[in-house]
Amino acid sequence: MEIRPILSSLLRNKTGALLIAAQVALSLAIVANALYIIHDRLERAARTSGVADETSMFRLGVAQMKDPESAEGKLAVQDRNYDLIRGVPGVASVARTNQSPLSRSGWNMGLSLDTKQAETTTNTAMYFGQDSMVKTFGLKLIEGRDFVADDVETIDPDKTQSLGRTAILTQVLAKKLFPASSAVGKTIYLGTGSDAFPLQVVGVVEKLQTPWANVGERGEISTILAARRVESYGMFVVRAEPGQRDRVMKDVEAALGKVPGQVVMGTESMEKDRIDLYRDDRAIAWMLITVTVLLLLVTASGIVGMATLWVNQRRKQIGVRRALGARRIDILRYFITENLMITTGGIVAGLLLAVALNQLLVSQLELPKLPLGYLAIGSTVLWLIGVLAVYGPAWRASSISPAIATRSA
Amino acid sequence: MFAYYFTLGLRSLRRNPALTALMIVTLAVGVAASMATLTVLYVMSGDPIPEKSDRLFVPRVDTAPLVGYAAGDEPSDQLNYTDATNLLRSGQGVRRTAVYGVGNAIETGRADLPPFLAQGVAPTRDFFAMFNVPFLYGGPWDVATETAKSNVIVLNRELSEKLFGKTNPVGKRITMDSEQWQIVGVIDKWNPLPRYYRLINGNGGNFSGADEYFIPFQTAVRHEFSNNGNNNCTGEGPKEPGYQGWIASECDWIQFWFEGKSASDQARIKEFLAAYVTDQKKLGRFPRPINVRLENVMEWMKHLGVVGADTKLSTWLAFGFLLVCLVNTVGLLLAKFSARAGEVGVRRALGATRGNIFQQFLIEATVIGLVGGLLGLILSFGGLWLISMQSEEMAIVAKMDWAMLALTLALSIFASILAGLLPTWRACQVTPALQLKTQ
Repeated sequence: MEIRPILSSLLRNKTGALLIAAQVALSLAIVANALYIIHDRLERAARTSGVADETSMFRLGVAQMKDPESAEGKLAVQDRNYDLIRGVPGVASVARTNQSPLSRSGWNMGLSLDTKQAETTTNTAMYFGQDSMVKTFGLKLIEGRDFVADDVETIDPDKTQSLGRTAILTQVLAKKLFPASSAVGKTIYLGTGSDAFPLQVVGVVEKLQTPWANVGERGEISTILAARRVESYGMFVVRAEPGQRDRVMKDVEAALGKVPGQVVMGTESMEKDRIDLYRDDRAIAWMLITVTVLLLLVTASGIVGMATLWVNQRRKQIGVRRALGARRIDILRYFITENLMITTGGIVAGLLLAVALNQLLVSQLELPKLPLGYLAIGSTVLWLIGVLAVYGPAWRASSISPAIATRSA
Repeated sequence: MFAYYFTLGLRSLRRNPALTALMIVTLAVGVAASMATLTVLYVMSGDPIPEKSDRLFVPRVDTAPLVGYAAGDEPSDQLNYTDATNLLRSGQGVRRTAVYGVGNAIETGRADLPPFLAQGVAPTRDFFAMFNVPFLYGGPWDVATETAKSNVIVLNRELSEKLFGKTNPVGKRITMDSEQWQIVGVIDKWNPLPRYYRLINGNGGNFSGADEYFIPFQTAVRHEFSNNGNNNCTGEGPKEPGYQGWIASECDWIQFWFEGKSASDQARIKEFLAAYVTDQKKLGRFPRPINVRLENVMEWMKHLGVVGADTKLSTWLAFGFLLVCLVNTVGLLLAKFSARAGEVGVRRALGATRGNIFQQFLIEATVIGLVGGLLGLILSFGGLWLISMQSEEMAIVAKMDWAMLALTLALSIFASILAGLLPTWRACQVTPALQLKTQ
């Protein structure tokens, strides 16, 4: 093989080769880490919320200028608004709730298995309302049952802090509380200590993300309670008939807004909530994709530039070699092999750099550890780019006519 | 000689146009990426009130129950009502304020302007002087009004113009939450970046959003306005239901600020906090060991992580990218300069010193940096535009000022000089005799 002569010629003229190798190493370090972060962020944004057909869902809040004094007055406001919403054609299902998935704002409360515990067992996102969220959100019930009318407890927040007697848990939460057995029928407590409120688990749903869709397991720890709070303020989540969301959203908003002394706020489709929630993740992914592409272009152009220079410098030698019997393919192979040697050197250094950079990111920015697969992908990409970039100049070198090359000075 | 070399450098741009263009574009892209992300970082981590950021302090005390205590636990970021009112009365520092968020419906009684919800804050009177809030009309409410817990309100300029046009509304009344409120002042445009005075808010986040009105803290509590923001209960939570139970509880929801006479007050007020906690322990509160913090504006923003990890990541990455661009430029310059060994040989033979050659080639590299910097400037505006498309928050922070503009050019020139050092040094090594012989 020709490796020895190529190596010795490289060692004579180290600067250029070292620069290319350094560039490849830096690129690999950045590209491998960037690819991993891109994948991580896009995967995070692609998780489902557990809500069926999100595109048909929207939420809105209703507040009163002057709160009714009596509990009956407050409940009457709720009932009136139900009627107004249900009166809009195209409304498939409506539920009063305190929070909506993906909306980035809501309640977080502690649950415990025993009132004697010093600390609660886990925190959970707390959904509550008097309607079937299983139905409106289209959740998949995998165990037990949905709430029935008897489960719903009417609660005045001025008199008690209870939030009902029954609960539906997500699968992840049920497994966390009761790893060995079924959660259905068990009693858990809202809070801990003597003031904790007992809750009976009646059902388990497959999935319902928290309003924040936290990373990892925490994003799916949610509880639904059957409670009708005595309050005139309220959030409604509405499922429209397929394809009619935008019109229904406008009509419901108009119907509720027409009531004197009532203000409608925070009307948002679940689709828009999803976009807003993952905006930063998508932004960082796109920024990394842009940087990666630019980086590879810059590296490729650097290799083209250097290879062109070397070809020009060695015109005479190429001519001599060709005159002495080397075929075009030999010249081509020479440059490609030379380039492969340089990029391989760069990649070896780059692998170490990539791991070091990842260590730095893990310690400084709490980023996840880099799986080795990404190093392999990054290395392959840079090898390919190296060969592609050098092919042009190498092919031009191989086309040098021996007669002309040796004739000139 | 500088001017002459500079002209030579400009002319040399036309030599090897492809190679030169590649160099300029590489440099420009690298500089643009770094500057666009650096600008965002710079705005995000900027000092919002440089004249007194070292003497505005946020106190933190640990009211949580003893169970679950671990050494090194951080006290909560906000105060409960009991501690907030106690500290307001403490007389520590020159000024004190307690702030929480409120949101109320404003009725206009006008057909063209239906009732709407406005977001505001409930601070004490000192707030305006502490944070240098500029007034367009009127001023803060007076002490007597604050003590009487009257219905007075300060509007921001936007809300005032929405309700009253460009006239002075001081003395007029508005209807909010079905009650009459007297307007005592209108503040001029005031939107510090970040919104350090109330970072934990329920409206807009660290950078975007604005507080439309200001009402006295105790008036808001008298009306039982709940907090529009973060309510945090460690431990048992309120013992009684309703608003009175809430303000008697150890749940925290109020942000508090001290203003010291000078930065040295930080230690003194911190000592006072420790003494305060010791005192409260006698009443059976603060079961945990004394754990107090007092942070100034910059320390407070750092504690709350105002600059997100994503912003830091982007900036690091962009500078990594610039480094690659730099290495690339070194290679390309090396190629460009080595092709001119003959020229160097002739000049040296005609009497030019190594110093002359060094100067000429370094100036040539600088010219490339200058052109790359100008192109990079245009590209950074493009990059910032792209960043500002991401969200409202980013649109506010992705703005370049003169300092950043100058830094962009400086960075580009510095980068090109750095990249030019090695190739220039190599060019100086040309031996005239050898070079001339081969010609």
